[in-house]
This record gives sequence, structure tokens and C-alpha cells, in this order.
Amino acid sequence: MIGNVWLIPAFPLAAFLVCGLFGRRWLHRWTGVIASAAVGASAIVAIGVFLEVLGGKERTTVKLYEWIAVGDFRSNVAALVDPLSSVMLLVVTVVSFLIFVYSNGYMAHDHGVHRFFTWMSLFVFAMLILVMADNYLLMFVGWEGVGLCSYLLIGFWFERPEPYVAAKKAFVMNRIGDWGYTIGMITTFLVFGSMTFTDIFARMERDAPTQSVLTLITIAFFVGATGKSAQLPLYSWLPDAMEGPTPVSALIHAATMVTAGVYLVARSAPLYAAAGPSLVVVGTVGAVTAIFAATIALVQFDIKRVMAYSTVSQLGYMFLALGVGAPVAAIFHLATHAFFKALLFLGSGSVIHGLEGEQDMRKMGGLRRKMPITYWTMLLAGGALAALPPLAGFWSKDEIVGAAYTNGYPILWAVGIVTAVLTAFYVTRAMWMTFHGEPREHHLYEHAHESPSVMTLPLIALAVGTVTLGVAIGWPPDSGFIHTFLGPAVETPGAADHAVAVGTIVALALVSIAAGVLGILIGFAMYVRRRPDPVAVSRAFGWYYRALVNKYYVDELYDHRIVEAFRGLFGIAWAFDVHVIDGIANGIGWIAARSGGGLRRVQTGVVGNYALTIVAGLLVLLVAYGGYAAGVLGR
Amino acid sequence: MSFDVLELAFFGLLTVGIVSAAIGVVLANRITTAALLMAFTFLNVAGMFVLLGAETIAAFQVLIYVGAITVLILYGVMFTPQNPRAYALFFQRQTPWAALFVAPIGIFVAVYSLSFRDTATGTKGHDLEPLATSVFRDFGFPFEIASVLLLAAMIGAIVLVRREED
Amino acid sequence: MPTVPLGWFVGVSAVLFFIGTAGVLMRRNAVVILMCVELMLNAANLALVAFSRRSASIDERGSVFVVFIFVIAAAEVAVGLAIILSAYRNQPTVDVDEMHRMKG
Repeated sequence: MIGNVWLIPAFPLAAFLVCGLFGRRWLHRWTGVIASAAVGASAIVAIGVFLEVLGGKERTTVKLYEWIAVGDFRSNVAALVDPLSSVMLLVVTVVSFLIFVYSNGYMAHDHGVHRFFTWMSLFVFAMLILVMADNYLLMFVGWEGVGLCSYLLIGFWFERPEPYVAAKKAFVMNRIGDWGYTIGMITTFLVFGSMTFTDIFARMERDAPTQSVLTLITIAFFVGATGKSAQLPLYSWLPDAMEGPTPVSALIHAATMVTAGVYLVARSAPLYAAAGPSLVVVGTVGAVTAIFAATIALVQFDIKRVMAYSTVSQLGYMFLALGVGAPVAAIFHLATHAFFKALLFLGSGSVIHGLEGEQDMRKMGGLRRKMPITYWTMLLAGGALAALPPLAGFWSKDEIVGAAYTNGYPILWAVGIVTAVLTAFYVTRAMWMTFHGEPREHHLYEHAHESPSVMTLPLIALAVGTVTLGVAIGWPPDSGFIHTFLGPAVETPGAADHAVAVGTIVALALVSIAAGVLGILIGFAMYVRRRPDPVAVSRAFGWYYRALVNKYYVDELYDHRIVEAFRGLFGIAWAFDVHVIDGIANGIGWIAARSGGGLRRVQTGVVGNYALTIVAGLLVLLVAYGGYAAGVLGR
Repeated sequence: MSFDVLELAFFGLLTVGIVSAAIGVVLANRITTAALLMAFTFLNVAGMFVLLGAETIAAFQVLIYVGAITVLILYGVMFTPQNPRAYALFFQRQTPWAALFVAPIGIFVAVYSLSFRDTATGTKGHDLEPLATSVFRDFGFPFEIASVLLLAAMIGAIVLVRREED
Repeated sequence: MPTVPLGWFVGVSAVLFFIGTAGVLMRRNAVVILMCVELMLNAANLALVAFSRRSASIDERGSVFVVFIFVIAAAEVAVGLAIILSAYRNQPTVDVDEMHRMKG
């Protein structure tokens, strides 16, 4: 099955072509079925690959063809199949499949549904390339591809202005990150002579470069990860990306694309392990982002925005894990987060769908009676987000903060704990405002309905994962399945490897649980009992509250300081594009038209003229013949 | 020896006939004159064939060209009566250019071709047998194709001149 | 020993051919143009027969080709006249300079 690993991206690629070429005129809503089937097939192959790796296959490279061979530089279209990539493949394909099935219901009435599935299929293809690549260059192809699809899908409803503005913002911020990735990639080539992971790892073992060089490379790659995974300072595109359809938010901005940055750092683990300062940066940025985003999520009223900031925060946790030397924990959290965050988004989508498009939680309330399946599945997901045992989220998050403590980063541990409290609070708030209490808008409430089974079945499937995944692969802590499986792939020899006392583990776990419970209790107090009353609290915090609602005015800051500063440059670039580039393109057309117009006059319609032309040609021929014969022409 | 002089004289006569009649065709004022001069040219060319010893070909020339084609042309003249005033416009607009191109080529080719030499023994006559053998045996298939082509041309011509009411 | 050299026959053929060409390019009347085309064909025939009869051993294939040219010429005149008559029905003129409806 590993030999067939290239089937995994092949199916979505085929779906993309079919849906793209035939979707508009012939296939319409059938594109959804085709795309879902394709991703489903990929999932099956991914499971097969995973099982084979599980059975003890060594890290394998499956080459499709030699892509670039210039001088000493080689970059192939090849897949690196090892525990890390097989886990990623599994997560991407399975979650994508469930989201695709869901989308068949959610997007059913949209007139652009074929376009939706075309881009979604392309996205899955690009993401799979990203995850499977065996070298940074091919990975970059997938990296850019998912960025492109993110742009296309955020701006899916481009008839309205907000989506395409958000799409542009996402793409531009991504691009800034890509600049970092490119520098990292090129430096890698300069230093190691190759961009292929196995080559680099081998060189690292034999004859590692200096720490300063490695720091440069790893920081550059981290800049790229920041853009793609929405960490400070390149995070603000993610909340705006909620303009896209909810399945897009679930798939791209929760489960897969935004995890690409985490994957990048995890994949480059040997490089990071040897560049200590970078790890500190990674961990700190992750932790700060986590708490920063969580504070904003506390006061948002749009249900999708709450989830968006939550995603930014949880991604911060993953980078925190990477920074403190626990890459397995990071990937573990990536996997569990994919499930419960996708579930939260899809559930939100179900709510929005049931309310015919309303997203403001202030207008919701009491929906649990009207949408029971959505309610119960989201409840489980919310619990996982709040890290309540035995749900999946608990195991992974606890491992992260626990590693922070045991590997010697007490401050980061504290940040993680505080963020956990905030997380539990805002999840409780969101759940209560949406599903409990009295309905605030009776008109909406009357018409609310549960979603069709094509949407609720994926919710249930994801809920199963949310409940079981943590225990299944993360127990017992530090020596569960995922540790023995992934560990060798991402841990480097000599990494933080101290045995921790069982008592410490239990104590840390209890603190984590306590943090979650505390957050939930505060939420209950404020929203169920109204003591303290949220309105009063917001007034008490006055300016800080306003700052939070306005997202710390970060967007305004960027706009004023950065965008304005470059406005002159933008003008020049625009003028160049309009006058030079378009001038060339239009000029070619103008030349073609004018020359055609001129040459047209040769066709006089008088046949005699044509005969004359033939005779004239004969004259030319004779002259030429004479010239050759006389030795004047030719040699 | 007298034979040779006769031949040369005959050749000269025919040449004068051909060239003057051809020029006449091009420059004649009335079409009927042009048509009859064309027929005369054909006759002279037939004479040339006889001089070369290809009598059968000469016979065919007279039969087909003078006999059939001239008649066809005359029919064509008959069915396309013109306003006599149209004769004022005699030459095409492109005539100067035509003269410019044709004259040098013509002169050059004519002068150049005069230099051809032959090594023939020059048997007179006896061209029918080899000709017939060749046409019907070696080139039988092209012969059949040619007949089909004639048929197609006939049908085509009829179709072209058919009036819609017919 | 033949007295009239081959070259002279070919020369006459050439002259006839180019007189015909001049007529095709210079006369307005379509029927006259057709006549000049016949002149050109005759010139070709003459050259072919000359080369055929005056080659080292008489190669009758030249004459065979001439026979075929007869056939083609006849067909061509028939069809050409049919076309001229058709055009004449459209507009009662055979002036080729007036026929420029296919102007690009």
C-alpha cells in the first residue's frame, strides 16, 4: 500500500478536474458526491498506508519522478512515508471526508456548489502534497496551493464585498509568511546542498552546521509557519476568513491548512532541536498568541468568530508544545483539535443553517430543544476544547502544559493554565448563549430546525472521534500509542528525556482539570445565574472591554502603520501593472488587429490580381534560380 | 538538302503564324476575331506537331482544339452579348504591372530555351503505335480516370448553367 | 538529321506561352481570358511533344501526357464557360475587373 501512496492525492486531483471541467454545465450538485467519494477513497488508502507503517515499515521514500536536476541540486516529486506523515495523511483525509459529506447538505442550495467542490478538491490535493512531500520545495508547492485555495474559498461568495476583502487579506498575510519560508528554503540549500529531508537529517547527524546558521533557517521557517498557522503577528486574517462558508472554516481554518505550520516545524525537528534560541521563540510566540487570542474570544458575539479566535489560541498551544521540546504532544493536539474543532465549526454551521443564516449569538438561545443532535455533539466538542477528561482534548492539552512544566518552562506553563481557564469560560459562554436559556428572538426560534442527516451524521462521527481519540492513542500519558509510534520520527536523540515521577504527572493533570472546571464554573456563574452579571463586568472593565471587542485594534494598527506607509509603493506597482503589463498585452492585440486590417487589403476580390501575383512569384523564382545557377546567390 | 530547306521554311512560316495569331488574340478588338485567330493558332501548332513527326497528335489537336474547343468558345461568345460601349474598357487595371512582370520573364525564358540541344535521330512518323500501346497498356488507369473526369466536368457544367426553374 | 533544332521549338513554345500569359493578365473579357489559357496549354503541348520526339530514343510518354492534357483542356473549357455563363446570369457582364464581390 505504501507503494500506492500517490493514489492519495491522485483522487482529489481527479475530482478537481472533473468537477472543474464538467461541474457547471452537467454535474451541478453531483460534484459533491464525486468529490466526497474521491476523498473517501483517499482516506481508505491513507488508512492502509498508516497500517503498513504501523506494522513496522521504516521511513520510506516513494518517488514519482525526478522533477528538478540542475547541477548538484535535486528535487523530486517524491513522498516521504513515515509515522509523522502517515498520521497527518490520516487526519487530513478522514476529517476532510467527513466535512465533504457535511458540505453536500450545507451547500446544497448554493448556485455555486460545483465551484465549491472544485476548489475544495484542489485544496485537499494541495494539502496532501504538502504533507507527503519529501523535500521543502515540493512542500512549498503544496504550501502555496493551500494558500491559493484558501483565498478562493474565503472569497467564495464574492458577490458581497466582505468575503473578497477577507480573501485578499488572508492571501497577502500568507504571502508575507511565505517570504520567510522561501528564505529558509534557500538557506537550507546553501547550507546543506539539498532540500530533501532525509539528506538534511543525515547531514545533521554527521556534521551539523553552526547554531547561528540553524537559528537563521529555523526562524525563517517559523515566520512562514506564523503566516500559515495564524500566530502573532500574522494572525488577523483568520477571524476575517470566517466570511467563507462554514465547511471551509472547518476544514481549512481549523483542521488542516492552519496546521501546516505546526507540521513544518515538527518535520524540521532535528533542525529546531539544535537551534535552542529558535525553540524559545517558537514556544513564546505560541504561548503569547494562545492567551492573546483567548482574551479576544471572551467577548465576541459571532459564533464563528469565537471559534476562529479559539483556533488561533489552540494553534498557539501546539507551537508552545514544539517550543518546549514536546513535538509528539503538538501533533497529538493537532489531531485531537482537528476533530473537535471541526466538530465545533460544523456544529456552528448546523446552527447557522437551522437559523437560515443567523450567526449572532445574541439572537440565539434555547436551541438545544430544537437541534438536539447538534447540541449534544457540540457539547462533547466544547468539553474537549475545555480539556475535560476523558474527552480527547484533555489528553493532548494536558500533555502540552505538563511538558512545559517538566521541561523547565514554568512561566509558559502558567500561561497555558490561564489560557485554559479562559478557554473553558468562552466555550461555556458560547454554548450557553446558543443552546440554553430563553430564546432571544422568537421569530428565529420558531423556524429553527435540525439539519438533515447528511449533515448530522458527520457530526456524530466526529463526536465519536472526539470522545475516543484521546484515550485510544494517548493513554497512558507519555507512553501511549502515539508516543511510541511518533516518537522516533520527531524526537531527536538527546532531546528532553527525563523520566517524570508519576506523582508529578497526576498533580499536573489535576491542575489542568481544575483550570478547566474553574473556567466552566465562572461561565455558569456569569451566564446561568447572572452573578456577576456579564453586562456589569463589561462595564467595570470599561476600556479593556472595548479593546477586546475591537480585537485590540490590531487591524487598525496594521492598516495605519503598515498599509499607509507603503501606499506609494502600491501606487507604483499598480501603475506598472496597468501601463506596462497591460500595455504589452493590449499592444500585442492592437498589432494583430492593425496588421490584419492592413493585410486584408491584399484580397482585392479581382482574380486577375491573384494571377498576377502568381506570375510575380514566378519572376522571383526565376531570379533566384538564375542567381544560384550563376553562383551569385547561395554558397 | 532541299528537304531541309523546306523544313526550315515550313518552320518559319508556322512560327510567324503562331506568334502573330497569338498576339492577335490578345489584341483583337472584336471577340469573334479573337476566337478565329485562336483557331488559326491551333492549326499552326498542329503543323508544328507534323513537323516533329507526331502526326497522330496533330490529328488530335485539330479534332479537339480546332473542332471542339473553338466551337465551345464561340458558344460562350454567343451567350454573353456585351454592351458595345464596354469595349472602350479593353485592358484590365493591372495591365502595366502585368507587362512589367511578363516581359522580362518571357524574354528570358525564350532566349534560354533556344539553347536546348537534342541528339535525336529523328524518325518521322510511326508515332501511333507506341502512343496507343502506352496509353492503353502502361497508363490504362489514368486513362480511365481521365474519362471519369470528363464525365464529372460535363455533369458539373450542366449543373452550373441550370436555371432554378428547370 | 533534323534541321530544326529542339531549342527553336521550345523557344516558340515559350513565346506562345508568355503571349498567352500576357493575355490572361491584361484582357478584361472573361471569354478572351479563357482563350488565352488555351494558348498557354497549347504551348505546353508543343514543348512536351518536342521533347518527347527529340529525346535520345523517342520517349512516347511525353506524347501520352499530351493526350491527357487534351482531355483536361476540353473539360476545363466546358466548366469554365459554364462558370462564365453563371456569372453572366447574375450580372450581365463578363468584365473581370467588375467581379470583386469576394473582396476581403
